[in-house]
Amino acid sequence: MKDYIATITKNEQIADNIFAVTFDLGETPCVRAGQFGNISIDGTHLLRRPIAICKTEGNEVTFCYQIKGLGTQKLKNMGAGTRLNVLMPLGNGFYVEDTEQKVALVGGGVGVFPLISVLRAYKDTKEIAAYIGYRNRGAVCGVEEFAKAQKFIAVTDDGSYGAQMNAVQAFAADLEKGNRPDVVLACGPTPMLRALKALVEKENLPCYVSLEERMGCGIGACLVCVCDQTNGQRARVCKDGPVFNAKEVVL
Amino acid sequence: MANLSINLCGITLKNPVIAASGTYGFGREFNELYDVGQIGGVSTKGMTLEPRLGNPVPRIAESRGVILNAVGLQNPGVEHFLAEDLEWLKSTGTCVIANVAGKTLEDYEKICARLDGLVDMIELNISCPNVKSGGMAFGIKPESVEAVTRAAKKSLKTTPLIVKLSPNVESIAENARAAERGGADCISLINTLTGMAIDIERRKPIIANNTGGVSGAGIKPIAVRMVYEAAQAVKIPVIGMGGITCAEDAIEFLMAGAAAVQVGTANFTDPYAMPKIIKGLNDWCDKHGVANVSDLTGTLQLNQR
Repeated sequence: MKDYIATITKNEQIADNIFAVTFDLGETPCVRAGQFGNISIDGTHLLRRPIAICKTEGNEVTFCYQIKGLGTQKLKNMGAGTRLNVLMPLGNGFYVEDTEQKVALVGGGVGVFPLISVLRAYKDTKEIAAYIGYRNRGAVCGVEEFAKAQKFIAVTDDGSYGAQMNAVQAFAADLEKGNRPDVVLACGPTPMLRALKALVEKENLPCYVSLEERMGCGIGACLVCVCDQTNGQRARVCKDGPVFNAKEVVL
Repeated sequence: MANLSINLCGITLKNPVIAASGTYGFGREFNELYDVGQIGGVSTKGMTLEPRLGNPVPRIAESRGVILNAVGLQNPGVEHFLAEDLEWLKSTGTCVIANVAGKTLEDYEKICARLDGLVDMIELNISCPNVKSGGMAFGIKPESVEAVTRAAKKSLKTTPLIVKLSPNVESIAENARAAERGGADCISLINTLTGMAIDIERRKPIIANNTGGVSGAGIKPIAVRMVYEAAQAVKIPVIGMGGITCAEDAIEFLMAGAAAVQVGTANFTDPYAMPKIIKGLNDWCDKHGVANVSDLTGTLQLNQR
């Protein structure tokens, strides 16, 4: 973890309300798929914006973000050359065991972006199937990345791109055809993760989910971003997560 | 190089900059970024006798120049601190201030007795609900501030007691005097101001708890005024906090009467905020010919009206 003074090299719209910002960190970071960065927008926003790392290439790191409030509005308008503090990499990230060869990625909404980092990390050594749900055609993004997976099934809530269903339904349909992965890695809205958790528990499949929560420090000190665990305890999303064994968290 | 060290109730701090409770855990995470030993003191996450799970999420929201939080005292309990964190935190060389909270006077007595002699100082958090007096916080009325201070002090043979005052009160000066009467060795202020932030699309408060404690740069003028009023009211030392972001902010508090300062929310905006403030204090003192940082305390001169 390091607080980089990062220079924006590119900041552009990639889908409805979704932007991708690339920073030059001045050195090559050591990042695990599924980790995130905490981006300082400016001095008037006292909280940084925790955003999943989508990809790293040499000294560059790319984050994809949805315009949600004043902070992301401001970020959207920052051009190449702008310097921001980016504290990264943070959190635990996804980890695929050597024994797990077939990997299913199930993602929805802005949850698709950390899965791109997984795909890039494992596409040469694992057999990857990506089940990605978007709201509609306008929200579709990252297709050129997911197309590098052995299997890529894109679906939309309204049927305007791919079949009309959500990512969990797409994954379930493929499971029914006998296409069973060794492990499922997922990120997306809580209702989606909840449905997935029920499915993998029924199917007895190992599954890891990346969670999102409003954060304070982003490094595990303030106990703001917690999630309920099945053992009755609460874990820190930023430090103990954001990736958790689906069995161990209450969604 | 100015002399940044201060003496607080007989305890020497290498500088007057202390991590504010709740923003810094027990120091371990920030120690991954820099040596926590260079910080004057660390006020720990608020601890209770038993572990607490805290409030539901979301626990934080942002508004212009401030944040709101309602963590609800999630903590692993004092025994966990003693077993897992205390020795390590001491070994860094920082001054260890145990921030403690309770539901009843007995809770405060017990937790203080348990920590007496083991930590450098104890800071009493008296802003949480007091079930015994009908849900009012201990920290609101001067009578209850005095009573809880007296109860805590009774349990302490060696460790100095800091009482952290809430700003959500009728008279900060009255409450400061009440803490002093109860036997406090030091007071710290201000705790967060109660506030609310609303998600207008959902027509609901952003924070699950509905209200939260407001902190950050935007509250600083209120905090400076209250620190001044409290420092005028008591003879015991005052630790000032509320929105400190840079060395210049810290100096305002010192001039208003604080012997030391705490930094909280700024740690979220910039995890290196405290080392930068310490360096900035030294630079400012050098530039202004101030030999000892302690010479700044209470040097404010009010305008003649």
